[in-house]
Amino acid sequence: MTGEVAPWGKPSPRSDLVWSLVWIAVGAAIFYGGFAMDRLDRQHINPYTAPGLVPALLGAAIALMGVILLLRSVRAGGLSAGSPTAAGQTNFPRLFLALALCLAYAAGLVGRGLPFWLATFLFVFVAILAFQWSERRARSEVGKGIVVAALCAAGTAAGVTLVFQELFLVRLP
Amino acid sequence: MLDGLVLFGRSIASFADPLTLGLIAIASLAGIVIGALPGLTATMGVALTTTLTLKMPPGTALLVLVCVYVGAIYGGSRSAILLNIPGTPANAAACLDGYVLAQKGLAGRAIGISTTGSVMGTLIGMFFLAIATPALGEVALKFGAYEFFWLALFGVIISGNLTGDDPLKGWLTGFLGLFIAQVGQDGIHAYERFSLGNRDLAGGFQLIPALVGAFGFAEVLSVLAERMARPNIREFGSHLPRLGDVLKYWRTIIRSGIIGTFIGVVPGVGEDVASWSSYAAARRVSKERALFGKGSVEGLMAAETGDNACVPGAMIPVLALAVPGSAPAAVLMAAMIIHGVQPGPLIMVQNPQFVYDIVAMMLFATLGIFIFGIALVRPLLKVLQIPREIIMPIVFVLCVIGSYAISQRLFDVWTMLGFGVIGFVLRRYAYPMAPFVLGIVLGDILDKNLRRGLVLSDGDLTPFLTRPISALLFAICAVSILMNFAAVRRAASRAWSMATSWRRAA
Repeated sequence: MTGEVAPWGKPSPRSDLVWSLVWIAVGAAIFYGGFAMDRLDRQHINPYTAPGLVPALLGAAIALMGVILLLRSVRAGGLSAGSPTAAGQTNFPRLFLALALCLAYAAGLVGRGLPFWLATFLFVFVAILAFQWSERRARSEVGKGIVVAALCAAGTAAGVTLVFQELFLVRLP
Repeated sequence: MLDGLVLFGRSIASFADPLTLGLIAIASLAGIVIGALPGLTATMGVALTTTLTLKMPPGTALLVLVCVYVGAIYGGSRSAILLNIPGTPANAAACLDGYVLAQKGLAGRAIGISTTGSVMGTLIGMFFLAIATPALGEVALKFGAYEFFWLALFGVIISGNLTGDDPLKGWLTGFLGLFIAQVGQDGIHAYERFSLGNRDLAGGFQLIPALVGAFGFAEVLSVLAERMARPNIREFGSHLPRLGDVLKYWRTIIRSGIIGTFIGVVPGVGEDVASWSSYAAARRVSKERALFGKGSVEGLMAAETGDNACVPGAMIPVLALAVPGSAPAAVLMAAMIIHGVQPGPLIMVQNPQFVYDIVAMMLFATLGIFIFGIALVRPLLKVLQIPREIIMPIVFVLCVIGSYAISQRLFDVWTMLGFGVIGFVLRRYAYPMAPFVLGIVLGDILDKNLRRGLVLSDGDLTPFLTRPISALLFAICAVSILMNFAAVRRAASRAWSMATSWRRAA
């Protein structure tokens, strides 16, 4: 199915061990949530239609699969020393920068009083400049980089605002 | 049969006006560009485009989405051939031979083969879409609560089994998706489940923002966290599709088309599995087996025919059962519901024209990819050279505004962010996203039909296991799970060898 292949290879048994504990905890919490859910006895509903039935079964299944993952990772050496690693390498500075910029825009700027077009301009400008900074500096093209980032940001802000606000009549946040 | 042809002709006529043809051109081109850019998948493209089609009439909106879907699966072969990076995961198999051909100075030839394969694949899939949907719809009319319960579970289990490398992780994400669908008011008593007193959560998570997050934002993070190569192809050769290729590899084309369509029909499996399966089947029977992986025309043809045939195939269960055959098809199904079209077993009774509308949309999309695939080879190469650092921030803006535009509430933007981060982390640890999406789509069907079935049978589980279709679906689910255990596999293999030796002795 599209979007499927993990492009980074296989994660370590240790990380599977940590994840198995997460799944067991999540499954147990869902099971408890479903089990403790109101069974609507006062409304005299058929007990087989209790709203918590399916979530409780799903929670139990997730916890069971977590236990299987736990056993499998232990057999694969997950208990031996070593930190849990994801599949493949991550460029953490770039990842954190991407995460920080995206969250700052979507959760910090949009819908907080700043006009949408301005928030969008600021985000696109800063993001393009930040991710191209080292490459542009190495080629002594910082000025060109600023102009390109500003043009792209202005085009995006204007285009998105016009299309959604004027064409689709969406009240922008 | 004749009725079907009349309906199909009517559908074609309804789309043949200049404005609609213009939209088909724009949407097909947009799909090709989305598919060609690594990091922009077909699912993400269809999800983002859905938000752009909210104000369109249903037929036009779905036409645009189908064109984007078909275009994206085809477009992904461009970066596979030119960069050795599949534009969408569906085109991973195309890298093996397409990139080698490009390295030999035959990039144009590889593009021509991928165009031929994609067009032929979509046409074969379209044929089966027109034939199989009414037939499956007829069977589906006999489905009751028991069968729909197993169908939902079957989708998640098969999807978990066949996507990704580890079925257990696929099932975990699938069941997580099923749980996510339980959040909000339940479908029988309207009781608020897991809403934590939050008014927005009481309405549940909307599918489009969740998918835009899981496929869009997660992909933005993945791409921005890594640097990517730019294409450096100078020698192209002719990129025009050749009739000789169709005549020479007609067996491969038909076989791959059938495999692709069949895999499309299986819930939640999708284009990448179709592409690899078609490639593997072609390799097994090819006279040019040694060339596979070294620039085989037949290998590239098989991969590209298989993945595009899967697109119409994935629409068959959407229309007949309201169960998506792939992740982009899941988004398309959500778009249908947003636009007031309810797919499912009753569609052939209530709105048979709609099925043929979808077939006609596939035909127009195929024309779109054929024309643009030939005409815009060099401009598309320029698009591939745009740095990802410029594209991805713009894509993220579309993720934000697209999620917001559906209901105009910020909660959907936060949903997109939350699902994006979860999707990114899960994918880093090799958890596939397809079963997760399918779980979200099928969660409501599973919930309602399990409880309805239990009410009908007064708590007796026997009908879940004894009705013929239920028993078949249960058996497939059980075998799919059990065959992942080495001990069961060994026992099955021992039993098989004993049975064959008895037969020989007899």
